[in-house]
Amino acid sequence: MSPITLILIAIGLGLAGWLAGRAKAWSFQKGSPDVRPVARPTYHAWYVAIWIVIPVLAFVTLWSFIAPQLVVQSVLASPGAQNLPAFGFERDSWLAEARAVALGNAPGVFNAGAEPLIEPFREAIGRYNLIGVILTVLIAFAGGTFAFLRVRPDFKARTRVERTVMIVLLLASLVAILTTFGIFASLVFETYRFFSLVSPVDFFFGTFWGPDPMSSADNPDASRYGAIPLFWGTLFIGAIIAMIVAIPLGLMSAIYLTQYADPKLRQWVKPALEILAGVPTVVYGYFAALTVAPAIRDAAVAIGISGASTESALAAGVVMGVMIIPFVSSMADDSIAAVPAAMRDGSYAMGATKSETIKKVLFPAALPGIVAGIMLAVSRAIGETMIVVMAASTAANLSANPLDRMTTVTVQIVKLLTGEQSTDHPTYLSAFALGFALFLVTLVLNVIALRVVKRFREAYE
Amino acid sequence: MTVIHDNMEDTGAKMKARDVSVYYGDKKAIDDVSIDISPDYVTAFIGPSGCGKSTFLRCFNRMNDTIPSAKVTGLIELDGDDIHSNAMDVVQLRARVGMVFQKPNPFPKSIYDNIAYGPKIHGLAEKKPDLDAIVEKSLTRAGLWDEVKDRLDDSGTALSGGQQQRLCIARAIAVDPEVILMDEPASALDPIATAKIEELIDELSGRYAIVIVTHSMQQAARVSQRTAFFHLGQIVEYGRTSDIFTNPIEDRTKDYITGRYG
Repeated sequence: MSPITLILIAIGLGLAGWLAGRAKAWSFQKGSPDVRPVARPTYHAWYVAIWIVIPVLAFVTLWSFIAPQLVVQSVLASPGAQNLPAFGFERDSWLAEARAVALGNAPGVFNAGAEPLIEPFREAIGRYNLIGVILTVLIAFAGGTFAFLRVRPDFKARTRVERTVMIVLLLASLVAILTTFGIFASLVFETYRFFSLVSPVDFFFGTFWGPDPMSSADNPDASRYGAIPLFWGTLFIGAIIAMIVAIPLGLMSAIYLTQYADPKLRQWVKPALEILAGVPTVVYGYFAALTVAPAIRDAAVAIGISGASTESALAAGVVMGVMIIPFVSSMADDSIAAVPAAMRDGSYAMGATKSETIKKVLFPAALPGIVAGIMLAVSRAIGETMIVVMAASTAANLSANPLDRMTTVTVQIVKLLTGEQSTDHPTYLSAFALGFALFLVTLVLNVIALRVVKRFREAYE
Repeated sequence: MTVIHDNMEDTGAKMKARDVSVYYGDKKAIDDVSIDISPDYVTAFIGPSGCGKSTFLRCFNRMNDTIPSAKVTGLIELDGDDIHSNAMDVVQLRARVGMVFQKPNPFPKSIYDNIAYGPKIHGLAEKKPDLDAIVEKSLTRAGLWDEVKDRLDDSGTALSGGQQQRLCIARAIAVDPEVILMDEPASALDPIATAKIEELIDELSGRYAIVIVTHSMQQAARVSQRTAFFHLGQIVEYGRTSDIFTNPIEDRTKDYITGRYG
């Protein structure tokens, strides 16, 4: 029986406990109407339900790990297992086949030797399923009875339930934090492996990027792992070209929408602008590769620049800039709109014009939100991959000419991790080092932004 | 409709309103109101909540322009010039007719920059020393200089409520206005801060024409020399403050100031 069935049983029993707890609480409340109860009957009900569901959930989680192993052990002890091959790989595949047939997931076995195992499997699975259900019910009853007996007029069920809610919420937030730590730890580990093969100095200061997956894994040519062209490409496309496009356009549209636009127009334009953020980046990639890049090439040729290619950092950066306009404008819009009307009125009453009020009062007060929006946009641009692959090539190139081909860190990571790779080859490991560097850079950028905001913000509360 | 006492003997009018009506959408908030604002005295607008006195006050510096649904009709003059005419720029109008709001609203800038804001946008000071002088003079007139002279770089929002309101008055004074409109300037303050604001209004009167909207009849009696009683979007009675409070002609005025309603 699958864990889902067990969970359904638990929920059913929990519901029963809920009703029983409430009924009991109601009865003693009715019995002595002049005594003010410590908690409402619903809290008693939830208390009982929690004591049923949570222990059962804990048990089911544990059981879904233990039960399959118990099943295998009992199958191995059966007489049919005598002929199992000793070699691990083959042995496992026989067992898997027999189990699939026993569960009804496969029509028959491929290896005839697995045939005698089917029956023991079926038997063991049936037995442990039954044990699982019995244990589930027992645990549910034990928890439920314990809680039910504690339901008394003076029992503080409310505080217990509230505390449980708090713990559940705490666990939920821990999941996100622990995941971040997990990601960080795995990056650190693989990066360490890479740096034991290639020195960090070569990696961070080398100016040539061209890992060779065919080279010897133990003795890599460190001079091919210089990541500067990638960092530069990322910075140039994502943080310079894209921002030159996105920051002015985003801020100006936010100012227009909050201060000048008719409310009716704003009602339409703002969501329309935010839809831009929902367009898949591949679509932007098409646009960049098929429309913008050729147009830029033609323009470059027209003004006499020879050797312009259809793949350029400029095309990718400009389209990326358009893509992140909503990030800048939406956050700026919200934070400008959140500045109290009293500030604006105060400025108007001094005889300030609209643009003076925006520049000197609204903008400084909204600065934290505006910077946050820009930071979000920068991290989004730095992490963007698709547009770059399609419009700016995958070849690393250290150049300050925006019409050149260029590539970014994320594009290289994708390139390094796709395809047949040996997981201990430095080419493969370098992807983690790149990811780690990207992680650090975004982290540092965020810290700097926070400090800048703290220093220059004009708090109006 | 409006009873205007004939013993005021004011020397001309700094501001004049003739048949002014204000609409919020379809709703008429002010109904054909006319009044002369004396240059020499403090004029108080009193009346129950929702009678339109704040709305009417905001007509004098066209602050109702900032509310999209508001529409103002009728004639308002400053020194005989129509404030809605093309010849009158709203920026200049607001430099000449300053305003202090109900809730202190200093900008989230330093105390210095709060005061310097107006002079800077109107180009009143060419050099830093001129600006310094304006800041000191304005703060002194608002009775705040001694309290803040050592911390002009602190944020204006870090001051206490009463200090913030005096900062806002200093900010309004800094552009050297001719009229100061005050919309319940002390309603968010404690009694001591209120007393200071009232004292300040007293000192400023004569130098500026002051119009103050207030809920408190005692406050009107203490600080003003002229009082207009508003009810349901109209001025019921307008006259010397002493007459309005001791010898009202209209029954509605009498009922209001004796606390029978409102």
